[in-house]
Amino acid sequence: MVIIDDPKLASRPDASARSTQQRRRSRNPLRSEAKWGVIYALPAVVVLATFVIYPFGSIIVHAFTRWDGFTDPTFIGLRNFQFLFQDQTFLAALRNNVYFALSVPIQLTLPLGLAFLIHQRIRGWRLFRWTYFLPAIYSTVVLGVLARLALQADGPLNQVLSSIGLGGLGRDWLGDASTALPSIMAIFVWANFGYNVVLFLAGMSAIDPQLPEAARIDGASQFQVLRHVYVPGLRRVMEIVLVTSTINAFAYMFTYVYTITNGGPGFSTFVVEFDIYNNAFAFQKLGYACAMGLAITVLISGLGFLQIRTLTGGRE
Amino acid sequence: MIRPAPLRWGLIAAMSALAVTAVFPLLFMLQAALRTQLDYENAKIGLPAVFSLDAFARAWVQASIGTYFINSVIVTVGAVTLSVALAATSAYAFAAIRWRGRTFAYFFILVWMAIPPLLLMVPIYVEMTDLGLVDTYWSVILLYSALNLPFNMYLMTAFFRSVPIELLEAARVDGASVNTIFARIMLPLSIPALATLVIFNALYVWNEFVFALLLLHDDSVRTLTVGVNQLVGKFFFDYPALLAGMLITSLPMVIVYIVFQRYLVRAIAAGALK
Repeated sequence: MVIIDDPKLASRPDASARSTQQRRRSRNPLRSEAKWGVIYALPAVVVLATFVIYPFGSIIVHAFTRWDGFTDPTFIGLRNFQFLFQDQTFLAALRNNVYFALSVPIQLTLPLGLAFLIHQRIRGWRLFRWTYFLPAIYSTVVLGVLARLALQADGPLNQVLSSIGLGGLGRDWLGDASTALPSIMAIFVWANFGYNVVLFLAGMSAIDPQLPEAARIDGASQFQVLRHVYVPGLRRVMEIVLVTSTINAFAYMFTYVYTITNGGPGFSTFVVEFDIYNNAFAFQKLGYACAMGLAITVLISGLGFLQIRTLTGGRE
Repeated sequence: MIRPAPLRWGLIAAMSALAVTAVFPLLFMLQAALRTQLDYENAKIGLPAVFSLDAFARAWVQASIGTYFINSVIVTVGAVTLSVALAATSAYAFAAIRWRGRTFAYFFILVWMAIPPLLLMVPIYVEMTDLGLVDTYWSVILLYSALNLPFNMYLMTAFFRSVPIELLEAARVDGASVNTIFARIMLPLSIPALATLVIFNALYVWNEFVFALLLLHDDSVRTLTVGVNQLVGKFFFDYPALLAGMLITSLPMVIVYIVFQRYLVRAIAAGALK
C-alpha cells in the first residue's frame, strides 16, 4: 500500500533510461505512464483493502481479545484458543467438518472417471457434459430447501421408495442423527461433482492426444491409459480439486447445513461456520468467533499445503 | 471404446441416471408449481390435473418474490459491473502500463484469492455496521466485488498480456494516450474475456446466500436466496407457491447457462490451466 501510494516512487523515472529520456521527455509517454499505472490499479486495491484485507487484519487482532461488539475489546492473550480446545460444541462442529472432508476422495475420483468417459466420447457424452454442470448452476439455498422437502418423512423420496416396493428403506432422513449428516454429505458431493468434471475435461483436452493413442497401440487397457497417461498429466487439476474440495468441507458448508437441518438433530450436523455465526450473532462473543475463524483459516492453509506436498512429494 | 459391451452399457446407464438427478430439481419444481395445493399434498410428484399459473402469481405477489427478484437483479447488475470494471482497470495497469511496484501490487491482490470469505463474516458485519451500509445494496455490491477481485484480476491480466505488444507500441507511436489505448484498443479486443467474467460473477452473486443473509435484513432490500429460505420458516405451507418461487430463483441462471455455456466453462477452465 505504502509503496503504491508513494508519488515519489511512482513518478521517478527509471535510472537507466534517464539519459535517453531526458532529451525527448516532452513527447515520450513512458514517464507519465507511471502515474497512470497507479491510477488504474488504485480503485481495485482500495476496494480489496477495505473489504477483504482490513477484515482479515481485524480477525487476527480480535482473536486475542474479549469483545461483545458494543464495548471496546480487551486483550486476553491466548485464552480464546485455550478455551477453543476444551469447547465441546466447537470440537463436535469440527468433527463434523472432518466427516464432510471424508468425501474428498469421492469428489476426486468420481468426476475423474466421469470426465474420462465423456472424453472417450461415450454414447450420450454431449448430454452428460451439459447436464452434469446443472447442479453447480442451482443456488445452494434452492438445493437445500429442495433437499429438506424431498427428505421429509412424508416427502417424495419415501413416496418413490414405497411405490417401487422399497418402503422398508423409508425413514425420516433428516430427523435421524445417523442419516442426517450422510444425507447432507451426499447433496454436497452431488452439488459439486459437475464443476470438477468440467475442470478434469479442461485438463484432459490439454493433454497431447498422441500419448493415449500410443499407449493403446502398445496394448494398454482403458484403465491403464487413465492411470498411467491421464492421471500424471492431470496433476495440477487434481491438486486444485483436492484443495478446493477440502476447503469446501471446512469453510463452505454453512448454507447446506443452515437450509437443510439447521445443525440438528442435536448437534449432529453442526459445523464450525455455524459455531462462528452463533457465537458472534447470538451470544455476542465476537472475539471468540474471530479466534475460531483464525484457527480454521490456519488449519485450511496447512491442509492445502500438506496436500500439495503429498501430491507432488519427491518430484519437485 | 469401453469393452466389454455389457460394462459399457452399464456405465452409460449409470451416467444417464446421474444426468436425470441433475435435471430432476427443475422438473420437480415445475410440476409442483403447475399444480394446486391439494393436488400436491396427495402426491408430491405428478402431472397437473388443470393447467394453472396461479402458484407463480401467489409467489410473485403474496410471497414478495417479485420484490426479491428486482433486488437480486439490482445487486447482480451492480456487483458484476463494479467487479468487471475493477478487474479491467487493474489488469490494464498490470499488463500494459510500465510502472514501479506493479509486480508487487499484482501479487498483493492475487494472494487473497485463497481466503475463505465466510470465516471473515464477523469483522465484515461489524465494518458494514460502522459504515452504515447494512440493509443497503451497496454492502453486498462492494463486498462481492472485493471477494471476487483477485480471481477476476488474474483472468483479465492473463488476457491483456496475450494482446500483441506491437499493437500497443504502434498506438503509442501514433500518439494515443494511456486512456485511449484502454478504451479504444484493450476493451474492444477483450469482449470475450469480459463476457466470461460477467457470466462467472453473475452466477456467484445471484446465488450467494450467507452475506446476503447477514447484511440484508429488511424485506425491501432482501435478495431471492434469502427470501426463498425464510419463506420456508414463515408458516408457509403453500408448497406449489414456494416451489414456483424457487423455480423463479433458478431459471435466470439456468437460461444464462444455456445461452453462455461456453463462457462459463472457459472461466472455470482458466482457473485450472495456466
